[in-house]
Amino acid sequence: MEKLVVKVCLGTTCFVMGGSNLQELSELVPQKYGDKVEVTGSPCLGLCSIKMEYAKAPYVKVGNEVVEDATVEKVIAAIEKHINNKN
Amino acid sequence: MFIDISCAQKKKYNQNAFGDYFVSGRFPDMNRVVAVLSDGLGSGIKANILACMTSTMLLKFMENNSDIEKSCEIIMNSLPVCKVRGISYSTFSAIDCYDDGKATIVEEGNPDFIWIRNMEVLKPEYQIIESKTFKNRKMKVYSIKLEKNDRIVFCSDGATQVAMGTKGYPLGLERKGLIKIILKKLEQEPEISSNDLSDFLVKQIEMIAPNKELKDDTSIMSLYCRDPREALIFTGPPYHQEKDSYYATAFKEFKGKKAISGGTTANIISRELNIPVTAELSLNSGKLPGLSKMEGVDLVTEGILTLTKTLEYLESGKPEKDAAETLMKFMLDSDCINFLVGAQMNKAHYDPNLPVEIEIRKNIIKQIAKVLEEKYLKKVKVQFV
Repeated sequence: MEKLVVKVCLGTTCFVMGGSNLQELSELVPQKYGDKVEVTGSPCLGLCSIKMEYAKAPYVKVGNEVVEDATVEKVIAAIEKHINNKN
Repeated sequence: MFIDISCAQKKKYNQNAFGDYFVSGRFPDMNRVVAVLSDGLGSGIKANILACMTSTMLLKFMENNSDIEKSCEIIMNSLPVCKVRGISYSTFSAIDCYDDGKATIVEEGNPDFIWIRNMEVLKPEYQIIESKTFKNRKMKVYSIKLEKNDRIVFCSDGATQVAMGTKGYPLGLERKGLIKIILKKLEQEPEISSNDLSDFLVKQIEMIAPNKELKDDTSIMSLYCRDPREALIFTGPPYHQEKDSYYATAFKEFKGKKAISGGTTANIISRELNIPVTAELSLNSGKLPGLSKMEGVDLVTEGILTLTKTLEYLESGKPEKDAAETLMKFMLDSDCINFLVGAQMNKAHYDPNLPVEIEIRKNIIKQIAKVLEEKYLKKVKVQFV
């Protein structure tokens, strides 16, 4: 099975809008999903500048899905959805 | 040629103020460095005031190319008179030096400076100028030409007289003892920075002092003439997007250490040069986003937050463990720091709903450049693109 990649934006906007709390995922996700899900950072996903009118930072990408206003719970929910869909 | 200059000091045991004072100024437009080390009479606050007045006044006089003899008379006349000894007194060593190696050195009362070339101590000629109004005050004036890899060490008499009267050092360490320590260190580490050499020497001197208790304030000011260590910091996307490729190539071809400060900037360079960039997600990055990695680039950090923190650390000298500390170290390990500052702004940064205020990049860089030049004597070039 292909690994699901989770990318947390570490750009300025996302970081100050709550992205700093998402760093928890670096420990939580491997504990919960082991090798099935890979979680990394991204210098910037570039979403805050194009999606300005929504102002929904922080952003996280779970596979190809963009999670807006991301929280640890939201990201975990998105991961669950992907895994369940695949199964 | 770059003149790497630094000073390390230790206070006299049980004193809470430094009785020696060091000041310096770098003038990049004139390729010139001026530095003064002064030793005030006595110790503690009194000595500190005398030395501080002497060195800051002398630095100003030298900056303005005033006549050295006249300047010194003015200084001696302005210093407060010591209640105990009835004199106003502080000794000094001063150097006015250009990147081409031309240097003027003036000494009054401090031990003779040590000039080392190819592991040999040189004995330069000097001229003696006697004070007309103050008896026994003589200045030595040297005009010398420095060459690449030359080193000069100035010290206060606390360094040469350390441990005086002990069995091992009846007359103190003396200038020759200090020379021995310097040469031995240079043999082990021929390219040691002025900062590390001064630190090392002061620590050695403290070790020699009985019970490691210094009887006098001790200072080492050291100069090292060498090729400059160049660094380039690219921060912010270029204003004209069509020039991304041009600046990315310029970044790639830069000879020296390279850093990128900014997520979008890192992505642009990654895209243009076709080198992947990866960011580490970690709980150990402190209050700032962690570092990213890109092959061929020495350091990749987030932009504004990290730069703002770096400025704070540069000003306070008290960094915490985070990306800004790494960026600060990157800057301090270089002599000439070039900033390539993209002028394009991310509107999202100026959303009033953001929980913190985000500074304008241009302003932070200007402030960083100022503190690097004035406090850390770096050569800084800023180019807005």
